[in-house]
Amino acid sequence: MGQPVVQTIHRDPALFWWILLPITVVMILTGILRHYAMTLLQSTPKKADLPKIRQQRSLTRGVNLRANANVISSSSFAARKAYMVQAYQEGKFLAEPEQRGKPRPNPMSDPAAMEGMMGMMKGNMAMMIPQTLIMGWINAFFSGFVIMKLPFPLTPQFKSMLQSGVGTRDLDVRWVSSLSWYFLTLFGLQPVYNFILGSNNAANQVSQQMAMANGSGGGMMGPEQDPDKLFLSEAENLEVLEHRWILEGIEDRLVAKLAAVSV
Amino acid sequence: MAASALNEERQLAINPIVASSVQHNTQVISNIRNLTASLFGVAAGTLGLESYAGFIFYILASLVVSVLLFALKTDGKPGAYFYRPLGDLWLGDVFGGLSGFVLTWTLFYGLVRA
Repeated sequence: MGQPVVQTIHRDPALFWWILLPITVVMILTGILRHYAMTLLQSTPKKADLPKIRQQRSLTRGVNLRANANVISSSSFAARKAYMVQAYQEGKFLAEPEQRGKPRPNPMSDPAAMEGMMGMMKGNMAMMIPQTLIMGWINAFFSGFVIMKLPFPLTPQFKSMLQSGVGTRDLDVRWVSSLSWYFLTLFGLQPVYNFILGSNNAANQVSQQMAMANGSGGGMMGPEQDPDKLFLSEAENLEVLEHRWILEGIEDRLVAKLAAVSV
Repeated sequence: MAASALNEERQLAINPIVASSVQHNTQVISNIRNLTASLFGVAAGTLGLESYAGFIFYILASLVVSVLLFALKTDGKPGAYFYRPLGDLWLGDVFGGLSGFVLTWTLFYGLVRA
């Protein structure tokens, strides 16, 4: 057949009030609920004992020194470097100096690591449960209705997904059922959450899953690494850093700039 | 080549790029993009645009928004606000707003036309 006939379906206007609007409202409210649930579920970080904090902070100090080396003069950088490198290599800041060189215990037995995993579990649960519930709710109440026509054509592969519950074989793929409106809201409501909850909200599961996929590696590996190795590598980084003071030649630069302005 | 890289590094050290400011600028762009994308969806749906016409409408409208951002938000000097003006201002987040556009486009197309 040449030009297919444009299919039109006359739908009850009440479909908008009883399907489209409820799904949208429920999706928005679920996002807000998820945001506040995540805020409440966030466990406060446990109090670490003094040597542990010292170990962590002194490592941070080395990193900060490396990042901001250019703003201090060469002599003060050299003094700091000498002190930090020596202390790192001797293991002065280690929380458990007697553990040096021994293999790390199994991370599963460490309660702190378990805590972190529990936090991740909670986050996953807060995403999975509403998603499953709403999918089930839509399937239970709204399946079998053709509610809207998409403004763009799709390939027939989408038919089984977007027209689930509609038993009409020849219907154009552009006519879709309520489940596809759910998917559209799932992906498209991020701006709405941004305006309601502020920019770094925890409402959207899609963006969260992306963040989790990217960030899970670093967060999980953190506590398991041997602090002694971290210190030694940081000492090495400090050793090889090329120091260039930013205020070197500042007079010439200033004069040149002022001359350029006054001309 | 190496000298120019060194020079650029030196320039960056002299005029450092503050991460939080960059983040704020990107956030402003992203908010404007998201809001306008949703409104363009309303327009496209009400006009009854279909398939390619709708997407082309979105791209053209985003271009207009880019020009407005260039003229009004950065006063014609995007280099002062963005490290890479082409990527961050002209193309930044154009596809981030697409899902919002499709959402409102579908909704208003369904309400008005179909």
